[in-house]
Amino acid sequence: MADATMGTAPRPALFLRNATGLVKAWSTFDAFVYSFWSVNLITLGLYGMSFAYTVPDGQILVAILLFGVLTTFLVITYAMLVSVMPRTGGDYAWQSRVLGGGLGFVLSITGWWFTLFLWAPIYANILNVQFFIPLAYTLGWIGVATFFTSQTGIFVSCLIVLAFVSVVVTLGMETYARIQKVCFWIGLVGLAVICGLLLFASNQDFQNAFNREAASLFGASGNAYQGTIDAASKGGYAGSNFGGIAFGSIGLLLPWLAFYLLWPNWGATLYGEVRGAKDIRKPFWSMFWGLWVTVGLVGLVMILIVKTMGWNFYQASNAAYWNTLYAVQGATYGPVPIWPYPVMFAGWLVDSHLFQAVLIIVMGLWFFGWAGTLFLSSTRVIFAAAFDRVLPAWAASISSGRRVPYGALVLMIVPSLVVSAIYAYQPTFTSVFLDATAVLALTFFATVVAAMILPWRRKDLYDASPIARYNVAGIPAITVVAAITGLFLLFMLYQWSFNPDNLYGTSFEKTPNSVIYFVATYVVAVVIYGVARYVRSRQGIDLSRIHHEIPVE
Amino acid sequence: MPKIFFATDLHGSEVCWKKFLNSARFYGADVLICGGDMTGKAIVPVVSENGHFSVALGGQQQTVPAEQVADVEANIRRKGYYPLRMTVERLHELDQDPQKRAQCFQEVMLEGVERWMNMASEKLRDSGVRCFVCPGNDDEMEVDEVVRRSDFVELGEGRMVDIDGFSMISTGWSNPTPWNTHREDSEEKLGERIEAMAAQVPDASRAIFNLHCPPYKSGLDEAPAIDADLKLLHGGRALRPVGSTAVRAAIDKHQPLLSLHGHIHESKGAIKIGKTLSINPGSAYEEGMLMGAIIQLDAKKGIKSYQLVNG
Repeated sequence: MADATMGTAPRPALFLRNATGLVKAWSTFDAFVYSFWSVNLITLGLYGMSFAYTVPDGQILVAILLFGVLTTFLVITYAMLVSVMPRTGGDYAWQSRVLGGGLGFVLSITGWWFTLFLWAPIYANILNVQFFIPLAYTLGWIGVATFFTSQTGIFVSCLIVLAFVSVVVTLGMETYARIQKVCFWIGLVGLAVICGLLLFASNQDFQNAFNREAASLFGASGNAYQGTIDAASKGGYAGSNFGGIAFGSIGLLLPWLAFYLLWPNWGATLYGEVRGAKDIRKPFWSMFWGLWVTVGLVGLVMILIVKTMGWNFYQASNAAYWNTLYAVQGATYGPVPIWPYPVMFAGWLVDSHLFQAVLIIVMGLWFFGWAGTLFLSSTRVIFAAAFDRVLPAWAASISSGRRVPYGALVLMIVPSLVVSAIYAYQPTFTSVFLDATAVLALTFFATVVAAMILPWRRKDLYDASPIARYNVAGIPAITVVAAITGLFLLFMLYQWSFNPDNLYGTSFEKTPNSVIYFVATYVVAVVIYGVARYVRSRQGIDLSRIHHEIPVE
Repeated sequence: MPKIFFATDLHGSEVCWKKFLNSARFYGADVLICGGDMTGKAIVPVVSENGHFSVALGGQQQTVPAEQVADVEANIRRKGYYPLRMTVERLHELDQDPQKRAQCFQEVMLEGVERWMNMASEKLRDSGVRCFVCPGNDDEMEVDEVVRRSDFVELGEGRMVDIDGFSMISTGWSNPTPWNTHREDSEEKLGERIEAMAAQVPDASRAIFNLHCPPYKSGLDEAPAIDADLKLLHGGRALRPVGSTAVRAAIDKHQPLLSLHGHIHESKGAIKIGKTLSINPGSAYEEGMLMGAIIQLDAKKGIKSYQLVNG
């Protein structure tokens, strides 16, 4: 029955009747929380920032700001795609429907399926260096800390991550959304405490605290603060000036920042299930604020680190750790021979191991509120490919009891176990894991190309969409913003692949292992699609027909 | 053996209905089945004043001359809304009087269904294609009579029909929803409704259950979680199973060859429940995209192949 009107008084724009699915808009804040976790300031953020020492004359704040601006174009592109085609599977759906089924499958599945195997051990390593190891040292459990630095310890951490992710998928998104919110608020309180400690302490306070805890927890003697800087210099680190601005160096920082700031669109693969996603404002603002709140917070944290810890010390501590780990000639660990976790260091400003442990646990919620979504997007991509009959139907199977997508989970978990074992026990494959960001960026690039040509390739869909009215100098706005995003991604892809100094550890010339691995993943994707095409054609199914539009007249 | 094309939840999108009729030739289908919820959810007033027409669509207000109003109306229909020309006085009258608004809704919906039935007759006559429609829970009861009057489209609701040796039972009724729509039953009554038809099926291995509501906890029934105020929870990402336990029980008990569902647009999928292949092709009617399923039946295998498509 007609029982509602919408529009601005005094003239209604629309008469609605009672019908299934007419719901009120979702909260932008709820979606923001998901996006905010995806560009996680603490887990991915601090981990990614710890490589900034490789570009010592790059001005980090300017680079973060520039990255925020450029990634905003990515956000607009994805929000527009969601508005035109809100589909489960996101990148896969858009690429396959615009670029073609085969190309879309190969380009998206390599990123959202095969590359996500690599992220499981990366997550595990973050869990180790930000949670298990600092917590164990703080509590004096040296044996536990040492275990997690061993190969088996790393593998056990991978198993913990995979188990946690599986539990989250089993619990379902509604339960996990509640967990995320709890982690969000408590994690923010923890961050506020850290900012407060860094704000009200001086550099001398920090040096004293650092020297005290380095001696107490790690048995260091003398001036450990200066010892850290000295250790870094042995590996070739020549110091870093926070105030210097060199534009070229700022550009070189961008691929490092991508490690955490490139993912505000992480939830885009889920928008097929989100009612009301066609309204571009909701997806846009949720991703936009997820990105920019993080940009603001990371800027604040960096300024406080510079003020209280000292920029040169922060960079030196990272240089000493990574250069030693990567066996740079002459490199040696500093007096604190673990990953320099700023949260742990800030906690040292309070002379209480109990307080320090609680702070690490509280900040660990930034991990547990975030890590559960590791495979969530991938399961949706696998679902979409299975519905298209490219993957077997069982890949989209769910259990009738707890509605666990066990098919997709098996396809994610089993290869991740193998890759985790390789990560833990075969250090020569490290470069493969460094490429994890680059391959996802390549997947995004393919989506961006699809967005650029969308107004012409799927004209009917585009014309019927809410974004058709947005133009820039007569050119569809989605084409313009996608082109800008594409140039940004191309720049980073070039740096990852061809940087002459192998700055990111991923240059083709210097890392044949990763080249072989990734070429192999694309070959496997092509083979899967080819086999699917052949098998389905024998069953009377034409895969090319999936996306062909039926004539209207 | 018949090749079926199944689509559902067109919600008044005329573009989707036209595609549905053309899908027979496009996919080489012998049987077309429209699963329910044919009628639109909204009327968009196209207000006549001073020789022009003004309309608000997608938050954008526009005024067009008389010669362009047909294009605007076509765009409105594409999205599944009903464009309705009216004066400013009529607009205010409908705004203020729920009774007149309800009557107006019924008129435009039935007129729309009638127009669709005529299109079907024109398009499919002499094609050899059978076309079934089974109104869903969003369709008012009067829709059935309009379909029944059609000289070509067959009404599926509440009966068993034979499709080249396969038996199909249909109902557009659903379990209760928060919107209190037109065809809702308690799970118990819905079960009785289905069972009354299922009891007539001679051979479950050659049966098609065309039930608008998907089975509970099947993965075809995952709808965004909402609160009591119909507000989406957790950014729209939290999903809950909202399918029918009665539909699930019927499938579990009878194990038909195929079950066809809709109702939950976001929950596209194809799964096996025991021996039954259950399909919800989803719906993207607002984009003018026809999501559907092609099912090739086979005398020996039962289902030779199936494919979800986005036409």
